[in-house]
Amino acid sequence: MSDETPFYQEYEVFSKRSHKTPLQYQFSLLAPNDDMALFMAQENFMRRQDVVDIWVVPRQAVRSLTSEERQKLTQRLDNKDYRTTKGYGYLRKKWREKEQGMLDEKEIMSWKEVKKT
Amino acid sequence: MTQPITSADQAQENVAYLRALKELLYQLADDDFIIAFRGSEWLGLAPHIEADVAFSSITQNTMGHAVMFYELLEALGEGKADKIAHERLPHERRNAVYFERQNGDGQYWEEPYYDWALAVVRQLLYDTFKKVKLEAITNSSYKPLAAAAEKVLLEQSYHLAYWRMWLEQLQNANADARSRIQQRIEEAWSCIGDVPVLGEEKDAMEHYALVSSESDLKAAWLRAVTAIIDTPPNRPFGQELGNGRIGEHTADLHQAIDTFAEVYNSDRKAVW
Amino acid sequence: MYNYVEDGDSPARAHAEGDEAKYDAFMTRIEAGDKIEPDDWMPDDYRQALIKLISMHGMSEIMGALPEKEWVPKAPTLRRKLGIMAKVQDEMGHGQLLLRVAEDLMAPYGKTREDLIEDLLAGRLKFHNVFHMPTKTWADAGMVGWLVDGAAIISQTNMLDASYGPYQRALQRICQEEVFHAQHGESIIMALAEGTDEQRAILQDSLNRWWEALLMFFGPASAETTGSSKQDIMIKYKIRKSSNEELRQAFLDKYLPRVFSLGLTVPDETVHYDDKQERWIYKQPDWARFKDIIANKGPRSQERLTLRTIAYDHNRWVRQALAR
Repeated sequence: MSDETPFYQEYEVFSKRSHKTPLQYQFSLLAPNDDMALFMAQENFMRRQDVVDIWVVPRQAVRSLTSEERQKLTQRLDNKDYRTTKGYGYLRKKWREKEQGMLDEKEIMSWKEVKKT
Repeated sequence: MTQPITSADQAQENVAYLRALKELLYQLADDDFIIAFRGSEWLGLAPHIEADVAFSSITQNTMGHAVMFYELLEALGEGKADKIAHERLPHERRNAVYFERQNGDGQYWEEPYYDWALAVVRQLLYDTFKKVKLEAITNSSYKPLAAAAEKVLLEQSYHLAYWRMWLEQLQNANADARSRIQQRIEEAWSCIGDVPVLGEEKDAMEHYALVSSESDLKAAWLRAVTAIIDTPPNRPFGQELGNGRIGEHTADLHQAIDTFAEVYNSDRKAVW
Repeated sequence: MYNYVEDGDSPARAHAEGDEAKYDAFMTRIEAGDKIEPDDWMPDDYRQALIKLISMHGMSEIMGALPEKEWVPKAPTLRRKLGIMAKVQDEMGHGQLLLRVAEDLMAPYGKTREDLIEDLLAGRLKFHNVFHMPTKTWADAGMVGWLVDGAAIISQTNMLDASYGPYQRALQRICQEEVFHAQHGESIIMALAEGTDEQRAILQDSLNRWWEALLMFFGPASAETTGSSKQDIMIKYKIRKSSNEELRQAFLDKYLPRVFSLGLTVPDETVHYDDKQERWIYKQPDWARFKDIIANKGPRSQERLTLRTIAYDHNRWVRQALAR
């Protein structure tokens, strides 16, 4: 073991590329405190990309799945069509018979703008 | 009141204006260039890896700012930016002397006993000053320069915040760090007198509204510095190493030129 | 940049008695192409091979910054000064990524970054052969960026599917930046190759001096050459895909035609492509010298370690001041 005093703490770093994108995990770094970690994070991991926000989290504050939990708690049966649009795919044909389009994701997400009155 | 000057061609119509403008540009460019050169010597040698990477980004940005100012000089007919940066003799250079000081004992390629306290104090003093001077230039009568100052200030906020964090953390740390920082501040105080000086074209710079007055610059800088450092020396700035704004320089600048122009000088006509 | 170099330690046992079921489950995951995470059970020889590989890879990045860095403040134009600074900064950044991965692997042994640095300074942790060599001219800065990085890209991309998740993710980041490094090196080389007689001369001289180190880069073809080899375990555990010699051949395939296209030669008159064997024939480098070099007896080994030692010792007060 080294005789150095404990300088380093592990931080997990997250950043947002734009205001429309979710926080993204970058990597981890070692720093003596939160402020240093934040300043180091920007130029260590985002020096070639846009960044509008940064989070640094001491690793000890993160409760993540353990190895065993990852194996056990992330398994699901493939019977969840009722949670997704997959279970309603037959509607496309029905609407087509009535000469109507399907209100799918692409269509609904395009409704940002409505006609001005 | 000077009418806004919007192009290099227009600036070249008035000899006195042009002379003052070039003098100011050399100060800005040479300060950034020598600070960035000293920063580039530090690459790979900082106290820890993450800090090394962050420092290098700041150094690159700072050299990028020097390039912007050298290019403004190029547009004014001073020759290519590379030639201006590499070929001028020490007495032609206008950076403040404190910024040319070596990073510590030894050379970067051989036994570099570089001092992080010097790096932090110098960078903090430089970036507080740079902000004050550039802010004063955002109203400059030379619009291409005012626009460049606006741009540089955007990026420079990170630099100042970064070095401010280092300085504050070290001066609030243990007695050893505090005393190392204080020692470097005392030492700096004796030789940073030329930093806010506008030099031989001072009157013309003020007359043509290229920048605010020298006394305003100095007062604003002192306020910015004393807001950050705990115990600023209670004495005026000295000029113990000379006045770089009128071309007085130390042997450390010769070492810098010999290094940064070594390859360039091996064949000035070649394409590198 | 990196390649794995063996130093003759006896390999750890794969697993303790009683762990057969865990080992089988682990191997099933490896075979299925799963990514192993730091807190997953893993056999000792997997963990130790990774620690050795990744700590050496990381330290080689940190030490590898030094030879190029000699030319950073000296770069001949403003644009070159900026480019090479960004490039060497990346090498430090790669060191940061890789050391973080190695540190997490060593955590169960109570070891930290300081231990890694002290192991390096004490000669217990090796760094790559190419970084023990001198960089005598600006052309060497180009040669490191072009061919040394080229060799590094060959060996690093070969591990982009590595079974260890954190390493594989670090390599993704690193290889993306290597694209910039490759072009940075080519740009310096191209200017010299199309430059004055003197510029072409320093370029050829540089290649002559670096040629043997470049061949050595990938390590010996088999364990018989230097007494040990970890290539088998690397392939078994899907850390990398190809053997040392396969990687060296890939490097020669990609780069020799480019070398020749610039009018450069290599200092080995036997070099040629054998159509029948479908491989490059070349004179073997001096593998005894290779062993010496990585044992810190290379031309610049001691100077580079001294540089690192001074930077580490002389800045200790900073780390102590900020310790909690």
